[in-house]
Amino acid sequence: MTFLELVNFYIIPGLVLGSIYALGAVGITLVFAILRYAHLAQGDLATLGAFVALAVVTGLGIPPLAALPVAMIFTAAVAVGIDKVFYEHLRERPKIVTVMASLGIALMIRSVVQVIWGVDAESYVRGIVRPQTYFGLRIKDREIYTVLFMLFLVGGLMLFLARSKWGKAMRAMSDNPNLALLSGIDNRKVVMLTWIIAGGLCAASGVFLGINTEIKSMMGWNMLLPMFAAAILGGVGRVEGAVLGGLVVGVAEELSVLVLPSEYKAAMAFVILLFMLLVRPTGLLRGKVL
Amino acid sequence: MELIGLANYALFMGIFIGIYALLALGLNIQWGFAGLFNAGIAGFFAVGAYTSAILTSPYAEGRLGGFEMPFFVGWAGAMVAAGLIAWPIGKICLRFRSDYLAIATIGVAEIIRLVVKSEETLTNSARGITNIPRPFGDLPYVQSQAAYLSIVLLCLGLCYFLVQRQFNAPWGRMMRAIRDNELAARAMGKNIEGRRLEAFMFGAALMGLGGALFAHFNRSITPEAIDPMVATFLVWIMLILGGQGNNKGAILGAAVVWIIWSMSEIATDQLPAEYAIKAKYIRLFLIGLMLQLVLRFRPEGILPEPTRGESRPAQVSAQEKD
Amino acid sequence: MKSKFFALALAGGLLAATALAGAPAHADVKIGLLGGVSGPIAAMAPAMIDAAQLAFQQVNEQGGVLDGQKIVGAVGDSACSPQGGTDAATKAVNIEGVTAIVGPHCSGAVLAAAGSVTIPAGVTVVTPSGTSPEITGLADNDTVFRTVPSDDFQGRALARTLKAEGYSKVAVAYINNDYGTGLANAFKSEFEAQGGEIAGFAAHEDGKASYRSNLADLASGGADTLVIFDYGDGTGLTLLRQALENGFFEKFIGGDGMKSDAPIKELGAENLTTFYASSPVGEKSDALNVFNEAFKAAGGDPDAIFVTTSYDAAFLLALAVEKAGGDKAGIPAALRAVSSGEGEAILPGEWKKAKELIAAGKAIDYKGAAGDLNFDQAGDVPGAYSLFKVGANGFEVVSEMK
Repeated sequence: MTFLELVNFYIIPGLVLGSIYALGAVGITLVFAILRYAHLAQGDLATLGAFVALAVVTGLGIPPLAALPVAMIFTAAVAVGIDKVFYEHLRERPKIVTVMASLGIALMIRSVVQVIWGVDAESYVRGIVRPQTYFGLRIKDREIYTVLFMLFLVGGLMLFLARSKWGKAMRAMSDNPNLALLSGIDNRKVVMLTWIIAGGLCAASGVFLGINTEIKSMMGWNMLLPMFAAAILGGVGRVEGAVLGGLVVGVAEELSVLVLPSEYKAAMAFVILLFMLLVRPTGLLRGKVL
Repeated sequence: MELIGLANYALFMGIFIGIYALLALGLNIQWGFAGLFNAGIAGFFAVGAYTSAILTSPYAEGRLGGFEMPFFVGWAGAMVAAGLIAWPIGKICLRFRSDYLAIATIGVAEIIRLVVKSEETLTNSARGITNIPRPFGDLPYVQSQAAYLSIVLLCLGLCYFLVQRQFNAPWGRMMRAIRDNELAARAMGKNIEGRRLEAFMFGAALMGLGGALFAHFNRSITPEAIDPMVATFLVWIMLILGGQGNNKGAILGAAVVWIIWSMSEIATDQLPAEYAIKAKYIRLFLIGLMLQLVLRFRPEGILPEPTRGESRPAQVSAQEKD
Repeated sequence: MKSKFFALALAGGLLAATALAGAPAHADVKIGLLGGVSGPIAAMAPAMIDAAQLAFQQVNEQGGVLDGQKIVGAVGDSACSPQGGTDAATKAVNIEGVTAIVGPHCSGAVLAAAGSVTIPAGVTVVTPSGTSPEITGLADNDTVFRTVPSDDFQGRALARTLKAEGYSKVAVAYINNDYGTGLANAFKSEFEAQGGEIAGFAAHEDGKASYRSNLADLASGGADTLVIFDYGDGTGLTLLRQALENGFFEKFIGGDGMKSDAPIKELGAENLTTFYASSPVGEKSDALNVFNEAFKAAGGDPDAIFVTTSYDAAFLLALAVEKAGGDKAGIPAALRAVSSGEGEAILPGEWKKAKELIAAGKAIDYKGAAGDLNFDQAGDVPGAYSLFKVGANGFEVVSEMK
């Protein structure tokens, strides 16, 4: 196998897949760090985002990228609503109760998607797109903008976290909630912001998965475990870590075919994760140890 | 509908509730008493089910098996195998706390699921193992179900008795001490790693038994049975709903969740026939909603952990540090 | 105490609900329709259930069964898992009081439901899509049938046809479940026995987002033809799309699971000129046409996966109920009698004719949309297959497979 083949057929698909995982993993890592529980409905929120974008695309006849903001805003609003209606009452309870509640939410979101949009595989644009060749690299346009958008969204988020007042408040909550509360940070606003960001990024990950493959009612649930692996791999609470983790998981899944029988592809993310937890429990970039 | 049909269905539900109660009981040892967030129940369930299936089923070409041992040997084997496989997993994973342990055990369970699904010589890969003998399986339908139910209840009762006794023994006190204040327990000279590993293995053995009971009841086991949703998350919901840290709660939780599961289908079947298929999607919504309602109004579970002694600091505060 | 009330309330609610559900109109004959409505094959189940309902609708419109009673399909969700399958089957048998069952859809659910519920209860099941060879070997007192041929038939037939048409080197990608594994292994052994070369043979997990590395690996063997054993509206679609987009292979051959309209709808017929799929058909291919017309008229899509076998299972059971006079225990024998290969031919939808012939005591032979369906000793059917290609109006027969 030549080097170019390795890049074209293993690395590039891995990076695209990894970017999709990364978008979801950032949301997971933020919820983990600020609210301190594993949010299991993240995958199904991504499905919801993808289907909302589908409704916009078919309804208005605009390209999926133009529908992306609508899907992100809608899903963010849904995430905030879910938090208000279901999670808020459980905040003072053991975290495990909220984890279970999020599992129930996952079922509810899936059910809504299946009732409204049915269960058939759909796609935004009919037909197939063949890749262009740039200096021997075979890349599709949509793959380029999947990665670019991911970097753009995450870059914006990091800038927000580093510079803005509310971004700093979020980081403070993540680092030391008691101290943050004492210094007068409005917990409710921070929680709401967290859900807006997590929901929006989730929708983006669903839309990009839909753009690159198909939209199915189970697509998000199937992505959940790799996304979690990515978040933990990168280090909990580290946005750039989640991106790195997503890319590593994506590339590793694709490369695994070279060394493992292909039916074990799904196991690759966990093998890496277990290994990482053993040698470096804080993740690739030093995250929290919860 | 005849009454006999309803009775039959009740028997069936009893068997399922019994099997899932065993899983919930196993999880209660790990989570409720030792505070170990094991999200890989499906893996131990699978090991138990397949071990017993291999030990008791007749010979079939192309896979391991043909030992045709009696069912109780298979069940004992299932417990031993699930407990043994928990040993290395626990050795490696128990050093992770809380959510990290959860993701690590999910990973291990997924790897077990893929092995079971792919290794033809061991488990007949995706086709699964059939013709597993069911004790009293030759009796007519109703009697056979009733007989199996009594075996399941016997197993469950025995496990409940042993677990309950153990919890009230010094071992149980020590486990709770470790869970609630690890530092203090360590200062008292307790071997925390060793105790945790014990709890992890005991819990896994019960899950293995649950798997074996399940395989023998269906006379077959296929990889579809070890999906994380039905074999891991469902058990978690049962324990949290029923009451973590309370063995009765674990059993009650299994019953309540199966009743919700069943009732939701009967409720959605009332929709007009055009919606027959949509009704099944709505059913998922109802299940999710019921879960929210119970968690909202009974967040500590239907039967909370009994407080022992005068004023034990609430478990809540201990877990919030996680 | 509060908790006890809570549990009691739940139990009471359950009883009330079951009592409500369990008050059937006495004249109806219920047949269970158990399918994987939720779970991994959620995309396939609705069309399969609709096809079975179509059969019942035709029966009811043409006079109903026995003394004009209606057949009612009781839909249950087997969720494609043993847990869901046994639960749905127990409900169907005990609460709905069904006479027989079409389904469950997934082999694991069939095995579990048969082993724990329907065999002990003596209820006949006819599965339209449980393809696992394990079902053949069940000790089932002759109560487990299927209208879909075991994977073995199709895998071997496809291998022989491809070899005869000049394909000598192919790669095989199959979904890692009983359906894919069974087909792929049968195909492989026959193709190699015929002197063909398998230049790549790999299973893949369901539901992943990318299969490009799998495809690259398969393509590295040097074959220009990819044989796909998967579902056309699930992972198979993703696989086919990524293979086409990246130009990994030139020709694509699918099993019956790939003969779905989803690839045409999503990828476009113009891109599928080198895509062929095998699918079961009857010797009298007008049976398939009759069904296609009827299902289209009812708003269904005849190219959806396993709809023909679902329809046949339902129609056959209706015939068997009529033949057996509504007697549950007589259904297996009646099933064999109405589709024995001898007697007056009955095509899909010809209920009135069949009913009259049965009343007159004459032998009938159902020619199904998915084949002639003459059950063998184990309750399996041999398959007759054709190879289809994508034409202007959906799938068209290219050649018959031997």
